[in-house]
Formats: sequence, structure tokens, C-alpha cells
Amino acid sequence: MQQQQAGGSETEVTWGDQQNINQFGRLNNRFHDLEEEIKAAKESNENLEDAGNELILTDEEVVRFQIGEVFAHVPRDEVETRIEEMKELTTKNLERLEQEKVSILSQMAELKKVLYAKFGDSINLEED
Amino acid sequence: MASSSTATERRGIPGAQFVEDVETYLTQSGLDVNSALSFLQERLQQYRVVEMKLLAQQRDLQAKIPDIEKCLDVVATLQSKKGTGEALIADFEIAEGIYSRASIDESDSVCLWLGANVMLEYSCEEATALLQKNLENAKASLEVLIADLQFLRDQVTITQVTVARVYNWDVHQRRLKQATAAVKDS
Repeated sequence: MQQQQAGGSETEVTWGDQQNINQFGRLNNRFHDLEEEIKAAKESNENLEDAGNELILTDEEVVRFQIGEVFAHVPRDEVETRIEEMKELTTKNLERLEQEKVSILSQMAELKKVLYAKFGDSINLEED
Repeated sequence: MASSSTATERRGIPGAQFVEDVETYLTQSGLDVNSALSFLQERLQQYRVVEMKLLAQQRDLQAKIPDIEKCLDVVATLQSKKGTGEALIADFEIAEGIYSRASIDESDSVCLWLGANVMLEYSCEEATALLQKNLENAKASLEVLIADLQFLRDQVTITQVTVARVYNWDVHQRRLKQATAAVKDS
């Protein structure tokens, strides 16, 4: 958890400063949530890769493919198509998440500059 | 000097008053430093309680959404099988680690579990529409919830900063008093 302590006895905290601090907190929370989501999306992608590979190795015509809570008997070609579609979705999702992460990191760096400039040692914006 | 704040409250969550000047804040509220600090700490506790509740609701919704999507998937699969004349064969779990095979013939309707021990039969199209609506409602609720959490965390941040400033102001005041006392004595 990041700590934000403001105000030695000299520097006054304005509403603008408070809003910056709040914004930094929000971005930081979103950043941590994003890390979790990215991890999950990467795992999902890996699983789909493995599934695709297994599919190539198997010589069964009908594959049990999980839909919802059940495993439906689905012809191999259809399974292949489905897996491709799912992979595309996850990859696009992953890209979107990574982009958001980059944007958030740069916004946080900006805010850090502004806040450290005003408060210096009186504020701590690092992870502990 | 007046104190400014954004919303005074949001859906039952009291807004934290932003303090422009610590001294004015203390005189206006008529509290001494310790009472002010304990009031603010109490507020932080209340915020924590609400945060726990909201996080639990968020977890529930985040579990519900993939569930609804899976149901939509199944209904779509059943619909695509219509007209082919084939039955859908599926393996399902009847007990942990034990699976059984089911042959699902073509059907125009599905039964949906609505909760509270109630299950209703719907046509495939109606089922899709209902599930779609539930999914959208769940996603909208989740968005509102996330906004609530953001508001809450902002109020927590404001309160934490106020605590630090009141404390620092107090330390500053004591130092000043000691300095004047030292001057008098010397």
C-alpha cells in the first residue's frame, strides 16, 4: 500500500493538491487491478495455446469441448475454429490492458513529478 | 477561509470535508487537536467498513458475469444445433470426478434457473434475450460499484491527509510554544 503523507509545517495543501493526490491513489489502484487482469489474460492465452497443441496431437475426430459447465462432443474442426476465436479475443484483450497500463504508468509519473516538486520529502508515493 | 469539498455524500457514503486551513477548521468545529484526530480516525473506520462491503459485492458481481456468459454460450450452442437433426452429446459432472453422458435432442426451449428454487421454461430466443439483459444489468451494476469504490477511496485519502496535517500543525504549535517559552526563560 502506498503511503501519502502531506504537510511539513510549511507547505500548505490546496484543494488542487488534494485532487492530485486522490488521482494518484486512483491510478495506483487501477494499476494493481490491471496487473491482476493482465496475469489472468496471459494465463488464459497459455491455456488456449496448450489446448490448441493438444488438439493437433490427438487423432480423435470428436473432441469434448467445455461449454459452460458441460463438455459437449464437438467435431475437431469446429473446436479448432472456436479455439482460434477465443485466442484472438484474449490477445486483443491483453493488448488493450497493456496499453492501459502504459498510459496509467505515464500519468502516475507526471503526478509524481508535480507532487514531489511541491512537497518533496513530506510526501511518499512509493510502494513499500 | 471556507472549506471546499466535492459531493457531500454519495449513496450513503459521507463525503470527507476538505480542510483549507487547519487552524480555521479546528476553531470552526470547536474541537481540540485530540478530539479532531479521534473524530477523523472514527471516520476512517467507518470508511473501512463500507469498503469491505463494497469489495464483497464487487467480488459477487465479478463471479456472476462469467456465469451468465457461459449460459449464453450454451444456449447459443443449442440453437446452432437446431435444424441439423443431430442431438448434442455432452458429458457432465454428476459427482466430483464422475461424469455421465447426456444426449440432448433438438428443442425450441430451454429452462433457466431464476434462483429461489424457481426454474422457468423459455424459448431459445427469449432465453437469450433474458440472459443478455441480466448480463447488461450486472455489468452496469459493476460500473456503479466501481465508481462508488473510487469515491470512497478518495474520501479515505482526503481524511488521511487531513489527519497528517492536523497532527503536523499540532507539532508545529508545540514547537512554537517551546521556542517562545525558551526565549522567555533565557
